[in-house]
Amino acid sequence: MARTRFIEGPAGTGKTTYAIGELRRLLDDGVRPEQILILLPQRSAGWPYEHAFTAPDWPDGAQIDLVTIGGLARRGLEIFWPLVAEKAGFAYPEAEPQFLNVETAQYYMWRFVNEAVQTGVFDSVNITPFRIMTQVLDNLSKAAINGFALDDVTERLVTAWGDRHSSRPPVYHAAQHVAERFRAYCLENNLLDFSLQIDLLVNYLLDEALYREFFQQNYRHLIADNLEEHTPVTRDVIRWAWDDLDSALLLYDTDAGYRVFLGADPGGGLELKARCDEAEAWEQPYNLPPTLGTLAHELGTLLDADRPRSFPAGENPRAGFTLEFCQFYPEMLEWAVNQVAALVQHGVPPGEIVVLAPLLGDSLRFALTTRLHERGIRTVSHRPSRAVRDEPAARAVLTLMALAHPGWNVHPPLLDVANALQQVIEELDPVRAWLLAQIVYRPGRIELGTFDAILLAAQERITYRAGEKYERLRRWLAAYQDEDAGTMPPDHFLSRLFGEVLSQPGFGFHTNLDAGRVVAELVESARRFRQTLYPRAEDVTDWIDISREYYELVQAGLLAGTYVASWQQVEQDAVFLAPAYTFLMRNRRVSYQFWLDIGSNAWWERLEQPLTHPYVLARGYPHDQMWTDEQEYFSRRDTLRRLMVGLVRRCQEHIYIGISNLSEQGFEQRGPLLQTFQQIIQRYDQLEEVP
Amino acid sequence: MLPAGFQFSQSTLQDYVDCPRRFQLRYILRQAWPGVRTEPLQQHERHMDRGVQFHRLVQRHQLGIPVEQLERGLDEELAGWWRAYLGFDLLHSMLGRRYPEITLSADLSGARLLAKYDLLVVSPNQGITIFDWKTSLKPLRREFLLKRLQTHVYPYILARSGGGLLGTEISPKQITFCCWNTAAPSEPVIIQYSQEQYQQDESYLSGLLAALRAEVERGPAVWVLTADEHRCRFCEYRSLCGRGEVAGNFEEMDDFGDEIDPSVADFGLVDVEEIGF
Repeated sequence: MARTRFIEGPAGTGKTTYAIGELRRLLDDGVRPEQILILLPQRSAGWPYEHAFTAPDWPDGAQIDLVTIGGLARRGLEIFWPLVAEKAGFAYPEAEPQFLNVETAQYYMWRFVNEAVQTGVFDSVNITPFRIMTQVLDNLSKAAINGFALDDVTERLVTAWGDRHSSRPPVYHAAQHVAERFRAYCLENNLLDFSLQIDLLVNYLLDEALYREFFQQNYRHLIADNLEEHTPVTRDVIRWAWDDLDSALLLYDTDAGYRVFLGADPGGGLELKARCDEAEAWEQPYNLPPTLGTLAHELGTLLDADRPRSFPAGENPRAGFTLEFCQFYPEMLEWAVNQVAALVQHGVPPGEIVVLAPLLGDSLRFALTTRLHERGIRTVSHRPSRAVRDEPAARAVLTLMALAHPGWNVHPPLLDVANALQQVIEELDPVRAWLLAQIVYRPGRIELGTFDAILLAAQERITYRAGEKYERLRRWLAAYQDEDAGTMPPDHFLSRLFGEVLSQPGFGFHTNLDAGRVVAELVESARRFRQTLYPRAEDVTDWIDISREYYELVQAGLLAGTYVASWQQVEQDAVFLAPAYTFLMRNRRVSYQFWLDIGSNAWWERLEQPLTHPYVLARGYPHDQMWTDEQEYFSRRDTLRRLMVGLVRRCQEHIYIGISNLSEQGFEQRGPLLQTFQQIIQRYDQLEEVP
Repeated sequence: MLPAGFQFSQSTLQDYVDCPRRFQLRYILRQAWPGVRTEPLQQHERHMDRGVQFHRLVQRHQLGIPVEQLERGLDEELAGWWRAYLGFDLLHSMLGRRYPEITLSADLSGARLLAKYDLLVVSPNQGITIFDWKTSLKPLRREFLLKRLQTHVYPYILARSGGGLLGTEISPKQITFCCWNTAAPSEPVIIQYSQEQYQQDESYLSGLLAALRAEVERGPAVWVLTADEHRCRFCEYRSLCGRGEVAGNFEEMDDFGDEIDPSVADFGLVDVEEIGF
């Protein structure tokens, strides 16, 4: 190979900028752009490249491929499916596969989990069937990205559990059994979840001569960015391609590794350094104020048990951050909002501000959004796995869906019906909507009552204009029951209800852009459900039961797709509200950061996942080793260190840190992050006192 | 404001030409709106799926997957299209390197223009032929094709950025655009590109982009709605614009009203999806 380089360094040292420059050099040297492959750990890491490619001075030519390992697998399988389907044991190799996403995989997995739960095999772990399902799916993914067999997963978990409470190993075996049933079902029905896509890529596609030829002809130059966030299987693919490449540039962020819980293997990423002809370590970040440089060093040192403690030569970090101590949680939020407002007032673009918390729950998101909007400041937030059904617009539409299908014997509560009417009929306020719902809706009755049948006095109170809209909606639902019920899949029903009634002039969703986004998500989820579970629509004679199945799955909380619209809105000039890890994985730098509630243990705690384990289910972890409490403690410290250093290095001006003495629940908070900051403050206060 | 990194394609520009408001809603505001585009929905969806399957079938064939492996399990309709494709001698007799499903891009007046080609055949002595597969219900009309943005954007971008494929600078007259339709497989529409057409296209596309930019700079006002309300029957924003309740029948739709924007049909950046615990 002509040139292979490995560049490592912390965030902000210019690695990605260098890679973009390197791309230009390759193009200038006559390399054809379609022969360059850029491997990224996840979609959001691609934005610097996407921006560069659309710059006016970017050379004309073919598009450069930006892919994740999931994208590489999916593309390969879409094209080369006929070569691998039979060998991999699919029951219908001549038919096209169905690609599952998390949401549609959950639909299938749900059946097997429920059956297992009913037998009592999961009784000894106190978690919901939904969480059992997500963790079994996680084990499947971990097996695929590490190259483990499913029974290796169980063996590792059982060994790591050691001689603790004896009820856990049977649960691991039960989880394996569920995973195996799911896998068998996928093979019988040409379904490809993420784990099976990776499995097919590694175990079948890479062995196909035609695929190798395709890959060799297409890709001669490789750039792998954020190598520390890639999974072991990505490294396997890089090794597989290595000898056929003309050049490779591998970039490694020394302080990162944030995706360990998704299977990233930072240690393994470093192994590729040995394959490269040149290796460079870059240390000096650009645009990091000296005060924050010292703060990053302090946090890195204090949270790293292996690193000798030394006073950095840099400036006093206290000028780099503001620490605000509040007694109560709302007080801290008010302080943060006031500070954000002051910054914006002084001309800071809202897009240069992020407000971060370890977790961003609905109530915190709502509290911040409402307060900032009251000050006229735009916000955008992203939280994965947000259930669409929780949005008021979606709940209204789902209530109407239930009302349109009286045969389901699903009787929405009166309050839900009133809320739905208030949402969708412009003229109805909560009082009128409640009054109307009380009169026209009787749980158990086949259809809604007519407006004409209401006493005149009540009609007047509700208003005739609202009554007219109500009648239009009622007649549409009645016509559907009489003429169309059974002929329409659930997504079509939702789409038509929205388009033909709810978003028409005079109805609540007309020009309601947020409602449009929410219902679009719901329709999309119903479409995926239908296309995946019932791909041969021509074989379905009656959609009523299928629509009901969809409705029930939504009610059970199985809609867990990421809120795509929010990702797209991140580009807006708005204050970004996010969990800290979400911000880090966007890999962007901003001027101002707000860290909320640093006394909370949530900054430090790992999610409770009794059926899986991100460290034990890693290729680098010894398969015969018990996971000890000491390991748990040090892994938490290390995770916190990476998180903190990563955040500081992505700040260009100042960090505002909010402390709430009492948590939202009223408990006193003294988490490890707060203690670390106390140490830093004490140390520098002492230094200042020294004459 | 256009989203950072926005790339224009024939379908986004066609949206602007058809209805500026639709462009604004789809690409500037990125407004999801779940109205029905066309009825009967299932029939339309099935037709779209067939189109995707056919494109994939051809891609697989062009990449060298054996015919016998591709033919297994095709239903009657797809098998019919497939046989017609195998009988398309113009393509199969053509020598040269083949690039199925390749995307090229070029900068025009500070905007990035992108084209995703079904197939390019590069013949060193003859130039480059663009093949575009259509699965429309009706035979193609040459005059209709000539009005579509695709017919101008595809050869223009190839002329600008296809030199790397040919190994030397490409002249517009070396480009041929061949539109092949399953509804009339023996009557492909073949359009020879030229220097004159290239200049006209450059001028037209630059003007279009300038008009679009001016519209963007005017701020958040509602852009002009199409004067041809027939189009609204096949647009998901119909209710938002107060332009009717019920979707039109897809058999009455313009020939390529259902094209897939390449930017939404790409799965390169599939994430390891985050699972909520």
